[in-house]
Amino acid sequence: MVEPSDEELCRRIAARDADAFEVMLDRHQARAYRLASSILGNEADARDVSQDAFIRLYESAGRFDGRSRFSTWFYRILVNLCIDHQRRNRWWRRLAPLAGPGGDNPDERAFDPPSSETGPESKAMLTQSISRLRPALAKLSPQQRAAVLLQTQEGFTSREISEVLKCSENTARVHVHRGIAQLRKLLKNE
Amino acid sequence: MAVIHPEPELIPYLRGELNADERAQVRAHLEGCAQCRELAEASSAILSNLARAVDQVREPDWVEYRGELMRKLRAGQARNASIRGRWRWRRADVRLPVFGWPSMAVGAAAIAVLAIALVMHRGAEGLRTPGVDQLELQQELSSADVGLLANYRVVEHLDLLENYDVIERLDELGRPGDRQNHETPS
Repeated sequence: MVEPSDEELCRRIAARDADAFEVMLDRHQARAYRLASSILGNEADARDVSQDAFIRLYESAGRFDGRSRFSTWFYRILVNLCIDHQRRNRWWRRLAPLAGPGGDNPDERAFDPPSSETGPESKAMLTQSISRLRPALAKLSPQQRAAVLLQTQEGFTSREISEVLKCSENTARVHVHRGIAQLRKLLKNE
Repeated sequence: MAVIHPEPELIPYLRGELNADERAQVRAHLEGCAQCRELAEASSAILSNLARAVDQVREPDWVEYRGELMRKLRAGQARNASIRGRWRWRRADVRLPVFGWPSMAVGAAAIAVLAIALVMHRGAEGLRTPGVDQLELQQELSSADVGLLANYRVVEHLDLLENYDVIERLDELGRPGDRQNHETPS
Protein backbone atom coordinates (compact mmCIF):
# COMPACT_ATOMS: atom_id res chain seq x y z
CA MET A 1 0.00 0.00 0.00
CA VAL A 2 1.33 3.45 -0.96
CA GLU A 3 1.93 5.73 1.99
CA PRO A 4 0.12 9.06 1.66
CA SER A 5 2.40 12.01 1.08
CA ASP A 6 2.77 14.73 3.70
CA GLU A 7 0.84 17.07 1.43
CA GLU A 8 -2.05 14.57 1.19
CA LEU A 9 -2.05 14.10 4.96
CA CYS A 10 -2.11 17.86 5.39
CA ARG A 11 -5.20 18.10 3.18
CA ARG A 12 -6.87 15.41 5.26
CA ILE A 13 -5.93 17.17 8.49
CA ALA A 14 -7.54 20.33 7.10
CA ALA A 15 -10.72 18.24 6.79
CA ARG A 16 -10.27 17.29 10.48
CA ASP A 17 -9.14 13.71 9.87
CA ALA A 18 -7.75 12.63 13.26
CA ASP A 19 -6.06 9.54 11.79
CA ALA A 20 -4.13 11.67 9.32
CA PHE A 21 -2.94 13.84 12.19
CA GLU A 22 -1.73 10.74 14.04
CA VAL A 23 0.21 9.59 10.97
CA MET A 24 1.72 13.05 10.60
CA LEU A 25 2.81 12.98 14.23
CA ASP A 26 4.39 9.54 13.77
CA ARG A 27 6.34 10.92 10.85
CA HIS A 28 7.51 14.23 12.19
CA GLN A 29 7.39 14.33 15.97
CA ALA A 30 10.95 13.05 16.54
CA ARG A 31 12.47 15.33 13.90
CA ALA A 32 10.49 18.35 15.10
CA TYR A 33 11.43 17.72 18.71
CA ARG A 34 15.12 17.20 17.83
CA LEU A 35 15.27 20.39 15.80
CA ALA A 36 13.53 22.41 18.52
CA SER A 37 15.82 20.91 21.13
CA SER A 38 18.89 21.81 19.07
CA ILE A 39 17.73 25.37 18.48
CA LEU A 40 16.47 26.00 22.00
CA GLY A 41 18.98 23.92 23.94
CA ASN A 42 16.35 22.91 26.43
CA GLU A 43 14.21 19.77 26.58
CA ALA A 44 11.18 21.27 28.28
CA ASP A 45 11.08 24.22 25.87
CA ALA A 46 11.62 21.88 22.91
CA ARG A 47 8.70 19.79 24.06
CA ASP A 48 6.36 22.78 24.45
CA VAL A 49 7.40 24.50 21.24
CA SER A 50 7.28 21.37 19.09
CA GLN A 51 3.83 20.56 20.48
CA ASP A 52 2.73 24.10 19.72
CA ALA A 53 3.98 23.64 16.17
CA PHE A 54 1.80 20.54 15.77
CA ILE A 55 -1.19 22.40 17.20
CA ARG A 56 -0.58 25.18 14.67
CA LEU A 57 -0.33 22.55 11.96
CA TYR A 58 -3.68 21.08 12.99
CA GLU A 59 -5.37 24.46 13.18
CA SER A 60 -3.96 25.96 10.00
CA ALA A 61 -3.57 22.91 7.74
CA GLY A 62 -6.18 24.46 5.45
CA ARG A 63 -3.83 27.35 4.75
CA PHE A 64 -1.13 25.10 3.29
CA ASP A 65 -1.41 25.92 -0.41
CA GLY A 66 0.93 23.20 -1.69
CA ARG A 67 3.21 25.67 -3.47
CA SER A 68 6.16 24.56 -1.33
CA ARG A 69 6.97 21.21 0.20
CA PHE A 70 5.03 20.40 3.35
CA SER A 71 8.26 20.01 5.33
CA THR A 72 9.37 23.53 4.35
CA TRP A 73 6.01 24.94 5.42
CA PHE A 74 5.91 23.01 8.70
CA TYR A 75 9.52 23.73 9.66
CA ARG A 76 8.92 27.39 8.98
CA ILE A 77 6.21 27.27 11.66
CA LEU A 78 8.50 25.39 14.02
CA VAL A 79 11.57 27.58 13.49
CA ASN A 80 9.52 30.76 13.86
CA LEU A 81 8.08 29.47 17.13
CA CYS A 82 11.59 28.61 18.35
CA ILE A 83 12.93 32.05 17.42
CA ASP A 84 9.92 33.76 19.03
CA HIS A 85 10.36 31.65 22.14
CA GLN A 86 14.02 32.61 22.39
CA ARG A 87 13.22 36.29 21.93
CA ARG A 88 10.63 36.15 24.68
CA ASN A 89 12.99 34.40 27.07
CA ARG A 90 16.11 36.34 26.21
CA TRP A 91 16.15 38.29 29.47
CA TRP A 92 15.83 35.08 31.44
CA ARG A 93 18.67 33.33 29.60
CA ARG A 94 20.98 36.20 30.55
CA LEU A 95 20.38 35.33 34.17
CA ALA A 96 20.43 31.54 33.75
CA PRO A 97 23.20 30.50 31.33
CA LEU A 98 22.25 27.77 28.90
CA ALA A 99 22.53 24.41 30.62
CA GLY A 100 22.40 21.04 28.96
CA PRO A 101 19.29 18.91 29.32
CA GLY A 102 20.91 17.12 32.20
CA GLY A 103 22.13 20.26 33.87
CA ASP A 104 25.63 19.96 35.25
CA ASN A 105 25.58 16.18 35.49
CA PRO A 106 27.81 14.84 32.69
CA ASP A 107 26.01 11.50 32.78
CA GLU A 108 22.85 13.27 31.69
CA ARG A 109 24.33 14.71 28.51
CA ALA A 110 21.95 14.84 25.60
CA PHE A 111 24.62 14.25 22.99
CA ASP A 112 27.46 11.81 22.62
CA PRO A 113 30.90 13.18 21.94
CA PRO A 114 31.65 13.43 18.22
CA SER A 115 33.21 10.40 16.62
CA SER A 116 36.56 10.18 14.86
CA GLU A 117 37.28 12.01 11.61
CA THR A 118 40.39 12.61 9.51
CA GLY A 119 42.31 15.88 9.21
CA PRO A 120 43.95 17.94 11.95
CA GLU A 121 41.03 20.29 12.61
CA SER A 122 38.56 17.45 12.35
CA LYS A 123 40.54 15.50 14.93
CA ALA A 124 40.41 18.48 17.22
CA MET A 125 36.67 18.58 16.65
CA LEU A 126 36.41 14.95 17.61
CA THR A 127 37.65 15.73 21.05
CA GLN A 128 34.98 18.36 21.53
CA SER A 129 32.37 17.14 23.92
CA ILE A 130 28.84 18.27 23.40
CA SER A 131 29.19 20.37 26.51
CA ARG A 132 31.39 22.65 24.34
CA LEU A 133 29.48 22.30 21.11
CA ARG A 134 26.17 23.17 22.66
CA PRO A 135 27.11 26.54 24.19
CA ALA A 136 28.90 27.35 20.94
CA LEU A 137 25.65 26.69 19.06
CA ALA A 138 23.79 28.85 21.56
CA LYS A 139 26.05 31.80 20.72
CA LEU A 140 24.98 31.85 17.07
CA SER A 141 22.22 34.19 15.97
CA PRO A 142 18.81 32.46 15.79
CA GLN A 143 18.90 32.57 11.98
CA GLN A 144 22.41 31.16 11.80
CA ARG A 145 21.60 28.42 14.29
CA ALA A 146 18.39 27.51 12.48
CA ALA A 147 20.15 27.52 9.10
CA VAL A 148 23.00 25.31 10.31
CA LEU A 149 20.65 22.89 12.05
CA LEU A 150 18.21 22.69 9.17
CA GLN A 151 21.14 21.77 6.96
CA THR A 152 22.79 19.28 9.30
CA GLN A 153 19.70 17.73 10.81
CA GLU A 154 17.08 17.94 8.11
CA GLY A 155 19.44 17.90 5.13
CA PHE A 156 17.70 20.99 3.73
CA THR A 157 19.25 22.66 0.71
CA SER A 158 20.06 26.39 0.70
CA ARG A 159 16.87 27.00 -1.27
CA GLU A 160 14.75 25.16 1.30
CA ILE A 161 16.45 26.99 4.16
CA SER A 162 15.72 30.26 2.38
CA GLU A 163 12.03 29.28 2.21
CA VAL A 164 11.93 28.43 5.91
CA LEU A 165 13.72 31.61 6.95
CA LYS A 166 11.94 33.75 4.34
CA CYS A 167 15.15 35.11 2.87
CA SER A 168 17.05 34.84 -0.40
CA GLU A 169 19.03 31.73 -1.23
CA ASN A 170 22.28 33.72 -1.05
CA THR A 171 21.36 34.98 2.42
CA ALA A 172 20.65 31.40 3.52
CA ARG A 173 24.11 30.37 2.27
CA VAL A 174 25.67 33.26 4.16
CA HIS A 175 23.80 32.25 7.36
CA VAL A 176 25.17 28.72 7.10
CA HIS A 177 28.67 29.88 6.24
CA ARG A 178 28.83 32.44 9.05
CA GLY A 179 27.29 30.01 11.53
CA ILE A 180 29.91 27.37 10.72
CA ALA A 181 32.71 29.96 10.77
CA GLN A 182 31.51 31.18 14.15
CA LEU A 183 31.35 27.64 15.55
CA ARG A 184 34.84 26.95 14.26
CA LYS A 185 36.15 30.11 15.87
CA LEU A 186 34.43 29.44 19.20
CA LEU A 187 35.66 25.86 19.37
CA LYS A 188 39.19 26.88 18.43
CA ASN A 189 39.32 29.48 21.18
CA GLU A 190 38.31 27.07 23.91
CA MET B 1 43.52 42.70 -7.78
CA ALA B 2 41.82 41.25 -4.67
CA VAL B 3 40.86 37.59 -4.86
CA ILE B 4 37.21 36.86 -4.09
CA HIS B 5 36.92 33.68 -2.05
CA PRO B 6 33.59 31.90 -2.67
CA GLU B 7 33.21 31.03 1.02
CA PRO B 8 29.39 30.92 1.22
CA GLU B 9 29.37 28.62 -1.80
CA LEU B 10 31.78 26.06 -0.32
CA ILE B 11 29.20 24.08 1.65
CA PRO B 12 26.64 24.08 -1.19
CA TYR B 13 29.51 22.92 -3.43
CA LEU B 14 30.36 20.03 -1.11
CA ARG B 15 26.65 19.09 -0.91
CA GLY B 16 26.22 19.16 -4.68
CA GLU B 17 23.70 22.02 -4.66
CA LEU B 18 25.40 24.28 -7.19
CA ASN B 19 24.62 24.41 -10.88
CA ALA B 20 27.28 23.42 -13.43
CA ASP B 21 28.70 26.92 -13.90
CA GLU B 22 28.94 27.67 -10.17
CA ARG B 23 30.44 24.23 -9.53
CA ALA B 24 33.12 24.77 -12.18
CA GLN B 25 34.01 28.20 -10.73
CA VAL B 26 34.32 26.91 -7.16
CA ARG B 27 36.33 23.87 -8.30
CA ALA B 28 38.73 26.09 -10.22
CA HIS B 29 39.12 28.35 -7.20
CA LEU B 30 39.74 25.47 -4.80
CA GLU B 31 42.50 24.10 -7.04
CA GLY B 32 44.48 27.28 -6.51
CA CYS B 33 43.45 28.32 -2.97
CA ALA B 34 44.74 26.34 0.00
CA GLN B 35 42.87 28.65 2.41
CA CYS B 36 39.49 27.77 0.90
CA ARG B 37 40.37 24.06 0.72
CA GLU B 38 41.09 24.12 4.45
CA LEU B 39 37.89 26.05 5.15
CA ALA B 40 35.86 23.58 3.11
CA GLU B 41 37.37 20.64 4.97
CA ALA B 42 36.81 22.24 8.38
CA SER B 43 33.23 23.23 7.55
CA SER B 44 32.47 19.74 6.32
CA ALA B 45 33.86 18.24 9.54
CA ILE B 46 31.85 20.60 11.75
CA LEU B 47 28.64 19.88 9.86
CA SER B 48 29.26 16.15 10.05
CA ASN B 49 29.90 16.25 13.78
CA LEU B 50 26.93 18.48 14.39
CA ALA B 51 24.73 16.04 12.54
CA ARG B 52 25.98 13.20 14.73
CA ALA B 53 25.55 15.27 17.86
CA VAL B 54 22.00 16.30 16.97
CA ASP B 55 21.11 12.69 16.23
CA GLN B 56 21.93 11.91 19.84
CA VAL B 57 19.30 14.22 21.33
CA ARG B 58 17.54 12.28 24.05
CA GLU B 59 13.99 11.60 23.00
CA PRO B 60 11.05 12.07 25.33
CA ASP B 61 8.48 9.44 26.23
CA TRP B 62 6.42 9.66 23.07
CA VAL B 63 3.22 8.30 24.62
CA GLU B 64 3.37 10.97 27.26
CA TYR B 65 4.32 13.57 24.65
CA ARG B 66 1.35 12.66 22.45
CA GLY B 67 -1.03 12.58 25.41
CA GLU B 68 0.07 16.05 26.46
CA LEU B 69 -0.17 17.33 22.89
CA MET B 70 -3.72 16.01 22.47
CA ARG B 71 -4.75 17.54 25.81
CA LYS B 72 -3.39 20.92 24.69
CA LEU B 73 -5.13 20.57 21.35
CA ARG B 74 -8.48 19.75 22.97
CA ALA B 75 -8.06 22.59 25.47
CA GLY B 76 -7.38 24.99 22.60
CA GLN B 77 -10.44 23.74 20.70
CA ALA B 78 -12.61 24.09 23.81
CA ARG B 79 -11.30 27.62 24.31
CA ASN B 80 -12.04 28.52 20.69
CA ALA B 81 -15.51 26.96 20.92
CA SER B 82 -16.16 28.92 24.11
CA ILE B 83 -15.16 32.17 22.40
CA ARG B 84 -17.37 31.34 19.40
CA GLY B 85 -20.21 30.38 21.75
CA ARG B 86 -19.91 33.64 23.62
CA TRP B 87 -20.22 35.55 20.36
CA ARG B 88 -23.22 33.46 19.34
CA TRP B 89 -24.84 34.09 22.73
CA ARG B 90 -24.34 37.83 22.31
CA ARG B 91 -25.91 37.73 18.86
CA ALA B 92 -28.84 35.71 20.20
CA ASP B 93 -29.21 38.22 22.99
CA VAL B 94 -29.61 41.02 20.48
CA ARG B 95 -32.20 39.10 18.43
CA LEU B 96 -35.89 39.86 19.22
CA PRO B 97 -37.50 36.59 20.26
CA VAL B 98 -40.95 37.03 18.61
CA PHE B 99 -40.77 39.50 15.77
CA GLY B 100 -37.20 39.08 14.72
CA TRP B 101 -35.14 41.39 12.55
CA PRO B 102 -38.03 42.58 10.23
CA SER B 103 -39.83 44.09 13.22
CA MET B 104 -36.67 45.99 14.07
CA ALA B 105 -36.71 47.45 10.56
CA VAL B 106 -40.35 48.46 10.93
CA GLY B 107 -39.59 49.99 14.32
CA ALA B 108 -36.68 51.93 12.88
CA ALA B 109 -38.93 53.22 10.07
CA ALA B 110 -41.59 54.29 12.60
CA ILE B 111 -38.98 56.14 14.63
CA ALA B 112 -37.77 57.86 11.45
CA VAL B 113 -41.35 58.94 10.56
CA LEU B 114 -41.90 60.28 14.09
CA ALA B 115 -38.66 62.16 13.93
CA ILE B 116 -39.60 63.73 10.59
CA ALA B 117 -43.08 64.64 11.91
CA LEU B 118 -41.54 66.21 14.99
CA VAL B 119 -39.15 68.25 12.88
CA MET B 120 -41.98 69.41 10.58
CA HIS B 121 -44.19 70.26 13.53
CA ARG B 122 -41.42 72.34 15.04
CA GLY B 123 -40.89 73.94 11.65
CA ALA B 124 -44.58 74.90 11.44
CA GLU B 125 -44.45 76.30 14.96
CA GLY B 126 -41.47 78.27 13.91
CA LEU B 127 -43.48 79.72 11.03
CA ARG B 128 -46.33 80.65 13.33
CA THR B 129 -44.10 82.40 15.80
CA PRO B 130 -43.79 85.99 14.52
CA GLY B 131 -40.61 87.95 14.60
CA VAL B 132 -40.30 91.53 15.90
CA ASP B 133 -40.79 93.00 12.39
CA GLN B 134 -43.84 90.84 11.81
CA LEU B 135 -45.36 91.96 15.14
CA GLU B 136 -44.97 95.62 14.15
CA LEU B 137 -46.54 94.98 10.78
CA GLN B 138 -49.42 93.09 12.35
CA GLN B 139 -49.97 96.01 14.73
CA GLU B 140 -50.19 98.49 11.84
CA LEU B 141 -52.61 96.27 9.95
CA SER B 142 -54.79 95.93 13.04
CA SER B 143 -55.05 99.71 13.38
CA ALA B 144 -56.05 100.00 9.75
CA ASP B 145 -58.59 97.23 10.18
CA VAL B 146 -60.08 99.11 13.16
CA GLY B 147 -60.33 102.28 10.97
CA LEU B 148 -62.09 100.32 8.24
CA LEU B 149 -64.45 98.73 10.73
CA ALA B 150 -65.36 102.23 11.95
CA ASN B 151 -66.59 102.94 8.43
CA TYR B 152 -68.05 99.49 7.91
CA ARG B 153 -71.39 100.73 6.69
CA VAL B 154 -69.69 102.81 3.95
CA VAL B 155 -67.43 99.96 2.93
CA GLU B 156 -70.40 97.63 2.84
CA HIS B 157 -71.98 99.65 0.05
CA LEU B 158 -68.90 100.12 -2.05
CA ASP B 159 -68.46 98.40 -5.34
CA LEU B 160 -64.76 97.92 -4.99
CA LEU B 161 -64.08 97.49 -8.66
CA GLU B 162 -65.86 100.70 -9.61
CA ASN B 163 -64.87 103.00 -6.77
CA TYR B 164 -61.09 102.92 -6.89
CA ASP B 165 -60.72 106.55 -5.91
CA VAL B 166 -62.91 105.92 -2.86
CA ILE B 167 -60.77 102.96 -1.86
CA GLU B 168 -57.63 105.05 -2.18
CA ARG B 169 -59.12 107.61 0.24
CA LEU B 170 -60.67 105.21 2.70
CA ASP B 171 -58.60 106.73 5.53
CA GLU B 172 -60.41 109.98 5.09
CA LEU B 173 -63.75 108.27 5.52
CA GLY B 174 -63.03 107.75 9.20
CA ARG B 175 -62.63 111.48 10.00
CA PRO B 176 -65.29 112.80 12.31
CA GLY B 177 -67.67 115.16 10.57
CA ASP B 178 -67.15 113.60 7.23
CA ARG B 179 -69.24 110.60 8.07
CA GLN B 180 -72.57 112.20 7.12
CA ASN B 181 -71.30 113.33 3.70
CA HIS B 182 -70.16 109.89 2.86
CA GLU B 183 -73.27 108.19 4.06
CA THR B 184 -75.28 109.38 1.09
CA PRO B 185 -73.15 109.05 -1.99
CA SER B 186 -75.49 106.92 -3.95
